[in-house]
Amino acid sequence: MRRLYVGGLSHTVTQKDLKDRFGKFGDVEDVELRTRKDDQGVPYKTFGYININISDADLKKCLTVLNKSKWKGGTLQIETAKESFLHRLAEERQAAAEQLLQQPAADDQKQKLLDSLSKAGVDKFNMKAAVPGTEIPGHKDWVVSKFGRVLPVLQLRCQKGSRARTLKYDPSKYCHNIRRLDRQDVDGSTPVAQLTWQVQGGDDDISKKRRGEFPPYEPPRRKKSRADVVDSHDAAGRTRLRSEPPVNSVHRTEAHQLTNGFQTPTGRRPAQRTWTRDSDIDSDEEIRRMVATQQTSHDALQQGAEDILEVVGHDYLVKSGHKGDKDDDDYDSADTDEIFASRKPPQPQDKPPQPTTGNGTDRKRKKTSKAGEEEEDSSTDDEERLTSKQQRGNSAKQKQKPSVVPVTKLRLPESDSDEEEDEDEDEDEESEPAGSCSDSDYEAMFSNVTHLEISLADLQKLAEDAEQTCETPPPRILSAERETSARPPKKGTTPEEILAAIMQDDSSDDERDKKKKKKKRKGVTSTLLPAFLGTKELNEESDEKRQKGDEDEVKEEKLNSGAAQMNHREADGKTSEEEEEEDEEDEEDIPEPKALKMSSSKTPVKPEIGATGSSSSSDDEEEDEEDKAVQLEEEEVVKNTTVPKVLKMSSSKAPVNPENAGTSSSTDDDEDEDEEEEEEEEDEGEDKEGLSKIITAPKVLETSPPEKAETDSSSSSDDDDEEEEEEHEKEEEHRPVRVVLAAEEEEERQRKANLRRLAAVQQKQKEAEEHKKLIQGALSNLDAPAAAAGGKHIVFGSDDEDGDEEEKQQQSVSELTASRKSLFQDGQSEDEDEAAAANQEKGKPSGHRLFGGSEDEEDEGDEEEDERRFDIRPQFEGRAGQKLMELQSRFGTDERFRMDSRFLEEDEDEDSETKKSLVEEDGALEEERKRNLSILHSVLGVTEQTSSSKTAGKAKKFRDVSALHYDPSREEHAAFETKTDEAKKESKASRRKKKEEAQQLPEVSKEIYYDVSGDLKAVFGQTKDGGAEGEETTNWDQEEEEEEEEEEEEEEQNQEETTPLSSLISADPNAEKQDSSGFKFSFFGDDTETPTAETAEYKVELIQAPKVSWQQDPRLDDSSSEEEDEDQQEEEEEHSSSIAKTTTEETPSKTDLFFFHPNDSRLTEGPRLFCRPAQLEEQREQWEERRTELRQEYRKKHKDARRKLTSSLRS
Amino acid sequence: MRPLTEEETKTMFEKLSKYIGENIKLLVDRPDGTYCFRLHNDRVYYMSEKILKLATNISRDKLMSVGTCFGKFTKTKKFRLHITALDFLAPYAKFKVWVKPGAEQSFLYGNHVLKSGLGRITENTMQYQGVVVYSMADVPLGFGVAAKTTQECRRVDPMSIVVFHQADVGEFIRNEDALT
Repeated sequence: MRRLYVGGLSHTVTQKDLKDRFGKFGDVEDVELRTRKDDQGVPYKTFGYININISDADLKKCLTVLNKSKWKGGTLQIETAKESFLHRLAEERQAAAEQLLQQPAADDQKQKLLDSLSKAGVDKFNMKAAVPGTEIPGHKDWVVSKFGRVLPVLQLRCQKGSRARTLKYDPSKYCHNIRRLDRQDVDGSTPVAQLTWQVQGGDDDISKKRRGEFPPYEPPRRKKSRADVVDSHDAAGRTRLRSEPPVNSVHRTEAHQLTNGFQTPTGRRPAQRTWTRDSDIDSDEEIRRMVATQQTSHDALQQGAEDILEVVGHDYLVKSGHKGDKDDDDYDSADTDEIFASRKPPQPQDKPPQPTTGNGTDRKRKKTSKAGEEEEDSSTDDEERLTSKQQRGNSAKQKQKPSVVPVTKLRLPESDSDEEEDEDEDEDEESEPAGSCSDSDYEAMFSNVTHLEISLADLQKLAEDAEQTCETPPPRILSAERETSARPPKKGTTPEEILAAIMQDDSSDDERDKKKKKKKRKGVTSTLLPAFLGTKELNEESDEKRQKGDEDEVKEEKLNSGAAQMNHREADGKTSEEEEEEDEEDEEDIPEPKALKMSSSKTPVKPEIGATGSSSSSDDEEEDEEDKAVQLEEEEVVKNTTVPKVLKMSSSKAPVNPENAGTSSSTDDDEDEDEEEEEEEEDEGEDKEGLSKIITAPKVLETSPPEKAETDSSSSSDDDDEEEEEEHEKEEEHRPVRVVLAAEEEEERQRKANLRRLAAVQQKQKEAEEHKKLIQGALSNLDAPAAAAGGKHIVFGSDDEDGDEEEKQQQSVSELTASRKSLFQDGQSEDEDEAAAANQEKGKPSGHRLFGGSEDEEDEGDEEEDERRFDIRPQFEGRAGQKLMELQSRFGTDERFRMDSRFLEEDEDEDSETKKSLVEEDGALEEERKRNLSILHSVLGVTEQTSSSKTAGKAKKFRDVSALHYDPSREEHAAFETKTDEAKKESKASRRKKKEEAQQLPEVSKEIYYDVSGDLKAVFGQTKDGGAEGEETTNWDQEEEEEEEEEEEEEEQNQEETTPLSSLISADPNAEKQDSSGFKFSFFGDDTETPTAETAEYKVELIQAPKVSWQQDPRLDDSSSEEEDEDQQEEEEEHSSSIAKTTTEETPSKTDLFFFHPNDSRLTEGPRLFCRPAQLEEQREQWEERRTELRQEYRKKHKDARRKLTSSLRS
Repeated sequence: MRPLTEEETKTMFEKLSKYIGENIKLLVDRPDGTYCFRLHNDRVYYMSEKILKLATNISRDKLMSVGTCFGKFTKTKKFRLHITALDFLAPYAKFKVWVKPGAEQSFLYGNHVLKSGLGRITENTMQYQGVVVYSMADVPLGFGVAAKTTQECRRVDPMSIVVFHQADVGEFIRNEDALT
C-alpha cells in the first residue's frame, strides 16, 4: 500500500473525485483532503493524501499520467508520501505484540524471579518493614530500597574514551522516583484510532491559548494579604499548567487530524506528565479542578476584556473633572495607595490564625492574674466584631499597662530622654521588629514605659477606689482617668481655655467641669478627624487591617473623648519637652482602654479572639512576647513586655496623631510653658505622694480587676452617653478620693499658680494690644505724609479709640504725638471729648485739622479753601489734562520742570500714530485670520460663509462645565433661571389671541389639488350618481367663472375678444359645458344598459385637465388680436362652439362613455354640429346686433378701467 | 517668527482637521480675542495677539517658545503635532478613544493602544481617523490614529492594535527637552 500526496487541487475537488481519478491505477483505500485557509477563512491551498494499493508500475504510470496534469483549474502534483503515522503506529504495536508472543521465555524468567523473591519474603517487589539497603537473601543484585520496594542493583557500563568501566547503581541509595513495573499499565494503551484528537475550536479562553493566542499581559496584583499570597501561589501553579489541554477533551475527541503522540496509560501525554511532576500534582482530579478554576477565572477575564468595550456617539460628553470618581469601580488609578485607601475591604479573616493559639495561651496566663478576665467569651463571626476584637486585643494589652507603670517607675525612674525624642520617627519601625532581638528591645520597651508615669496619680486613685468600691471596674476608672488626663494638644486648646480650666482647678470638683468642657469640644475634634484619617491611610498602606482597627479606635476615641488636658500635666514630673512627647503618647494610649471598654461592653469576647486581632497586626511581636513570658515568669515583667508593645502599636497606628499633637502643642508652647512649669511643681508634690502608694497600687490592681470587669461587662452598654454617665458617677466617687489625695498645700500651689498664670496672660494681652497699636500708629504715619503735603501728621480721631490712643501715645510712640492732627473728627462725638481734643490740638501748635468739627468756627474759612483744593484746575481738565498732570507729577512740583500743554501735543500725535499702527496690526491680523479661514474652508471642502466670528464662536465656545456657576448678576445666566410667571402671562393674554387665530379660517391656497385616488373603482364608477356629478359640474363652472373674472381683470386690454366669447358662451346653451373642462369617460356602456353593475363597481370622477388645455387656447391666442379680425374670430368661435357642443352635449344625456354604442345620441347629434343650424345671413345679422352691444359694453369697461388706472396713478 | 504661508497653513490645517474637523474654525476665529499661528524655528505656535506683541520684543535667536506649540514642520515640510497641542485638541476632538486603567500606563509610555486596553470608542470612527485618547476618567492622555474602524474594533482579537500612538502626555517627562 502506498500513500500519495496530491497537491495543487482546486477547492471544489471532493474525495470521490479523487477516488475516481486514482481508482484507475489502483485500489484507493482512503482519501484524506486538507484545505488550508487564511485567517479570513478563504481557502488558498488544498491537497490530499491517498492511501492506495498500487503496484510500482502502476504508480509510475500514474505519476507520468497525472503528475503536472491540469485538473479542475489546478495543476496536480503527485508525490509519494510517508505512511500515515497512525498506520505506522498500528504496525509497530502489532509487531511489538507479536514479539511479546514470541518471547514467553522472558515472561517465564520473570515469573521465576518473582517466585524466588516471594520465597525470600518479597511480595510484588515489596518488602514490608525492611531497612532500606538490606539485600534480599538469595538474590545478589536485589536490594530493598526506600519505602520497602525491592529493586535491582544496576551495573551500568560507562564508556569514557577508550576504557570502559561499570558503575554500580544502588537504588536504595538514590531515589524513590522509579515507577512501579507493572505490565498491565503497558497493556492498557488506547487503540490507535483514538490517539489523535483535535484542539477544539471555540472562543473560550483555554482553546485560544492552546492555539497560541494569549490574553494581554496583566501586571501581577499586589499582595494584599497572606490569603492573596496563597492565591498567587495557586496562580503560579496554574500558569505552569496552562499549556496543558484539559484531559477531558483528550478522552472525548475522536482521532482526527493533529496527533500529539502516544497516550500514556494515565491518559496524559508525556509532556504533560513532566509538567505535572514538576508541580506536584498527581491525580487527574486535581488537574481537572485546576483547569476548571483556570477556565472560570479566565472566562471572567475574557468577559471583562470583551464586554467592556463600549461605543459612544459623537455627542458623548467628556467629564471635565480630572479626578476620576472614586466610586467608579472600573477605574483604578495607577496610584495603588489610592486604590488601597478607597477600596479596602475588611478582611480580617485573611489573617493566619496560627499565632492565636500561642498568644492565646499567653493571654490566658496573664488573664489569671489580671483584668483580662473581663473578656469572657462570645463567638461572633461579624467582621465588625472581628475588628473590634482586634482592638480588644490591643486594648487588652493596654489594660495591663497601669499595673506595669509603677514597676517601671521603680526600676527605671530616669530613662534616657534621647530615645523618647526620637520615638516619633522610630515608632513605625519599632513596631515591626520589636520582638526580633529581645534584649535590646527590652530596654527600649522600658524606656517607652517611662512615659506612663503620668498616670500615677490616676493609679493612686484607682487603687483607693478599688478598695472602696468593688462595683466599679478599675479599667473603666483607668480609662476615665485617662480620658481626663489625655489629649490636650489635639483639641487645639487656646490659652484662654487652659486658663479657665486652671482657674477652676481650685475647687475639688474641677475635673468634672473640665470633663464637661472637653465633651463640648468633642464635636470639633470629630470634624477634624476624617481628613487626617485619609492621610493616615496613605501613610500606612502596608498594614491595612491594623489601620482599620486604628480607625475604629480613633472613632471611639472621638466618641469617648471626655479627655481632660490638665491632669496628665499635673501628674508629670518632667521637663516641658518631654512632656509634649508624652502628651502625644498618652493620646495614643488612652483611647485603647476605652476601646476595650467599648468592645467588652458590646460583646464579651474570648481572649483568644482578642489575641487574633492583635496578632494580625504584629505576629512576630507576640510570639516573642510569649518567649519573654516564658523567660520572665514574673507577672509584672510580663506586663512590662506587653506594655511597650502596646505603646508601639498604638503609636505606629496613629502616626499622624503625634504630628498633630506636636504642632498644636508647639503653637501653644509659649502660653503653656509657664503653666507647665507650675504644674510640674505641683506634680512633683503629687509624685511624692504617689510614690508612696505605688507599691500598694499594683497589688490592688492585680487583685481587683477581675471582679470589677465582671460587673462592668454586665452593667456597661455600648452607648457613649451611658458611658459618660458612668464616668460621671465614677467621678463622683472619685471626688472624695481626690480630695484626700490632693492635700491642702497642693491647692495652695494651684491657687498661686493660677494667679501667676493670670498675670502672665494679662501681660500677654497687653502686649498684644500694644503691638496692635504700634501697627496702627505706623500705618497712620504712612498715610499722613501723602495726604498732607506739608509734612503734617493726621490723626484719625474716633471716639472709641481716643482714650486708648492717648495711652498709646504716652506709652510707646511719644515722638508721634508732637505733630498729630485728627483727620476725621466725628461731629457727634461728645463735647467733652471734643474739648479735650481741641485742647490737645491747641497744646500742639503745629497740628491742625484737615476736616474740622462743624462747631469749630476758625475752620470755616479754611473749609472753603479746602473745597477749592479739590477743584480740578482748568489746565488739567479733560483727557489731555490728565496726561499733563501725569507728566507734571513725574517731576514733582519743581518749577524748572514744569510741563506745559506744549508737551502734550506731541503726545497726541504719537498717540494717533500708535493708534494707526495698532489699527494696521489689527487689520493685518484680521486679514490673516480671514485668509486662514478661507484656507480652512478649502481644506475642509466646506463652503461656509466667513461667519461673523463672534456669533459663530459663541455657539461652540469651549466651556469648563465644572467651573460653571450660576451668577445672578450676569445676564447670560438668566437662561438658567426657571421662569414661572412668564408662562402665566402668556397663558392669559396669548390664549385669546390663539383662539382668535384658530377661529380665523386658514388661508386656502389657490393651487388646485388633483386628487388621484388609487382606487380605480372610485375613479371610473362615479357616473351613476348624478347628483354628485351635477354638483361637481356646477362647482367646476363656478370656478371657471371666477377664473374668467380674474382673467378679465388681468387682461382688460384684450377683453374685446374674451367678453364677447363669454357672452356668447352664456348665450349658448351648452356654453357652460364648454368651459368646464371636465372630461368623463367610461369603458362601459350607458347607465341605461348596465345600470346596476356600473353603480356598484364604477364611479366616474371629473378629471380636470390643466388650465392650458386646448379648449382655452382660442381665448389666449386671441389676446393679441384686434377688432379687425372679426372674421377670423367668427370662424374660431364657431369652431370652438362646435367643439364645445361635441363635448358638452354629452353631459345632459349623460353619454359620458368614451366608446360609442349603437344608440348613442352623440352619433346623431355629432353630425349636426357640422351643419349650420341657421342660415348664414341670419347668423350674420344676429352677430351684427350683438357686436354693437358688445362694442359698447367693451368701451364702457375700457373707460372704467382707464379711469381706475389714472386714479390709482394719482393716488 | 513669521506668519505661516498659505501652503504651511494648509498642511497644518489638514493635519489638525483630522482630529478636530471643522472645529479649527474655533481656534482661528475666537470670540475672546484674536489668536494666530506663528512659525518659529519650524515650529508652529498658537498665541494670542497680546502675547504676539509681547514676543516682538525678543530677538529671534533668543526666543525659545511663545504661546502654545502646536507642532513642527519636518524637513519634508510635513506637519507633526506635538503633545502640547493636546489642550486644544481635546476639547474639540470629534473622535475619542477611552483607554482602560490598565492600559493607561502602557499608552503613556508610548505604546499603541491594544484592543484589550480599549475601554470605549466613538462610534463611526473610520480607519486612520485622528483620535484623542482619554483615560476612563476622561483625562486626555494623548492622541493617535485609529488603526481600525469602530466595527472592526468589536471583532478584532485583544492583542491587535486599535489606535496608533502619536503623542501622549508622558512626553512631557520623557521628551521634556524637545517640547517647547
